[in-house]
Amino acid sequence: MFKENLKMAVGSILGNKMRSFLTMLGIIIGISAVIAILSVGNGAANQLTSTFSELGATTISLSASSEDGNEDLITDEDIQVIKESIPEVRYVSPDETASSQIASEFADRRAILSYGTPDMQYTNQMMESEVVHGRYFNQTDYEDGKNVAVITEDTARALFNNRTDVVGESIQLSGTQNQLNLQVIGVLDGTFDQLQGSFDLSEMPLYVAIPLTTMGELNPDATSIDGLTIQTESTEAIEPVSNQVVRLLELRHNSVGEDNYTAYNFLQALDQVNNVLNLFINFIAAVAGIALLVGGIGVMNIMLVSVTERTREIGTRKALGATTNTILVQFLMESIILSLIGGLIGLTLGILLSNVVAGALNIVPEFTLSAVLLVIAFSTAVGVFFGIYPARKAAQLDPIEALRYE
Amino acid sequence: MIDITDIRKVYKMGSESLTALDDVSLTIEDGEFTSIMGPSGSGKSTLMNILGLLDTFDSGNYVLNGTDVSGLNDNERAHIRNKEIGFVFQSFNLMPRMNVLENVMLPLVYAKVPAKERKARAEKALEQVGLADRMYHKTNEISGGQSQRVAIARAIVNNPSVIMADEPTGNLDSKTTIEVMRIFQQLNDAGTTIVMVTHEPDMAEYTKRIVHFRDGKLLKDVRKTPKRLPEGEV
Repeated sequence: MFKENLKMAVGSILGNKMRSFLTMLGIIIGISAVIAILSVGNGAANQLTSTFSELGATTISLSASSEDGNEDLITDEDIQVIKESIPEVRYVSPDETASSQIASEFADRRAILSYGTPDMQYTNQMMESEVVHGRYFNQTDYEDGKNVAVITEDTARALFNNRTDVVGESIQLSGTQNQLNLQVIGVLDGTFDQLQGSFDLSEMPLYVAIPLTTMGELNPDATSIDGLTIQTESTEAIEPVSNQVVRLLELRHNSVGEDNYTAYNFLQALDQVNNVLNLFINFIAAVAGIALLVGGIGVMNIMLVSVTERTREIGTRKALGATTNTILVQFLMESIILSLIGGLIGLTLGILLSNVVAGALNIVPEFTLSAVLLVIAFSTAVGVFFGIYPARKAAQLDPIEALRYE
Repeated sequence: MIDITDIRKVYKMGSESLTALDDVSLTIEDGEFTSIMGPSGSGKSTLMNILGLLDTFDSGNYVLNGTDVSGLNDNERAHIRNKEIGFVFQSFNLMPRMNVLENVMLPLVYAKVPAKERKARAEKALEQVGLADRMYHKTNEISGGQSQRVAIARAIVNNPSVIMADEPTGNLDSKTTIEVMRIFQQLNDAGTTIVMVTHEPDMAEYTKRIVHFRDGKLLKDVRKTPKRLPEGEV
């Protein structure tokens, strides 16, 4: 009986191809939108997660600020204590940046000036900093506030007539208050990570890194530390280390509960991005839901028309021995198959669509089995929900009335 | 065997009521070929619907093949229609979009006969009406006379105890009318009970018994020798 019903339903749908297609259109649009949005959305989420992990799976950004304007929220000593007392902390450095004028005997240019502890070589988020000539400034340079500087290859080229190995040369740095003569002790294979692709290489800013203590000599008024960048040993340590550092600083500065320190890591950033993404997905899903509702009403409408058109057929079937239930199942099956075919076409279209959209956005779309099952379940549900009323109407027809219907 | 006693059917139309059947009693033996005649409104169609268990009645008794079928519900009546009664309608009522064979198999689908057996039995029924070669034609590819023969094959496929034919030749030309009546006579010769509603005396001539109705009452009941149609190719 199931097979016969299936055959009859398919026959009836194929018998009115254009009408069936138009009826399915609402469901096709709804389902393809759902599939496209889900797979592109999931793909985007995956990509974001991996990008964030690559960028800063072990990075904590700590910022300090107080309402009373106290600027001594983080001291040199704090940095030492953090590094020595919390074992999961691998590197810790202020990651302060200023703009300054940098000059050699050949040129005078503006540059980005970074200052911190020797760990800044690893905590600096702005650039890859592999030393190609000389060395980075070390603990002794830092503690003694030596007049040393590390510059990038680009900077070396700009200041020293295209030479890159300029270790030992001297440069002059002008701050807002003083001028300092510094010795170049290292050259970095430095390109600005976050600026890459957005800028022409010729416009790449110059870059110089000096110890925090040296900065004190350049600009004595501008050496307060209002933030730290910390690298942990592992991603798992991010949350505990964030809490420990904040706790430690609060204890050392007698400011427990004042909320002066905020630790920020990629997990939180990811959460925020995911929240926005989810909001977007939910919104589109709601729109798709409305399309499905409209599609379902279309199915109901066409099934009611079909029942009326086939009144005589229903009467004949009853005369031949079809029971109320048989007719009910036959028409219900028809509406289910109508929505199911619509759903499957929508699924195919949605996959195509998401590949196109994802291709344009440079994302790998993610298709899940659960999405496919969801489509099947949902279209069946639409078929049942919107098909039951017309099917009952058909099943309850009086055979004599139905046979007399012209 | 059909046995009805004092069947009464009243249609209520607002405050008016119309007595379609006024205490009708009738017995039709197995193997009879009966025509029911009468002007429109005489109650012959109502009687046909009640005999075919398509309609219910207000009072009286209906015993079909020894079983009282008076108080059955919709589902039980559907099963009896399927097993005991074969319908032939004036306008054929074949299923569009199905081919000839599928149309003939339909009652067997409702009887839950296995698919293989369905096909064999439908083929046999189609042979009986001379349409074995039209099996895979669509219903819109065959003539009116052939359509009615398909309908007859559909009516006999589940071996019913009686065929109910409601003006079976009403939509046919004289040549195909003869064909259909010849098939009925052949089926009756082979033992099938046939009840036929008609308003054409010519058609009634071919049957063994004529029951006349007027105003819901049985007026005349005549048994006679039927006019035989010559044997020939159908």
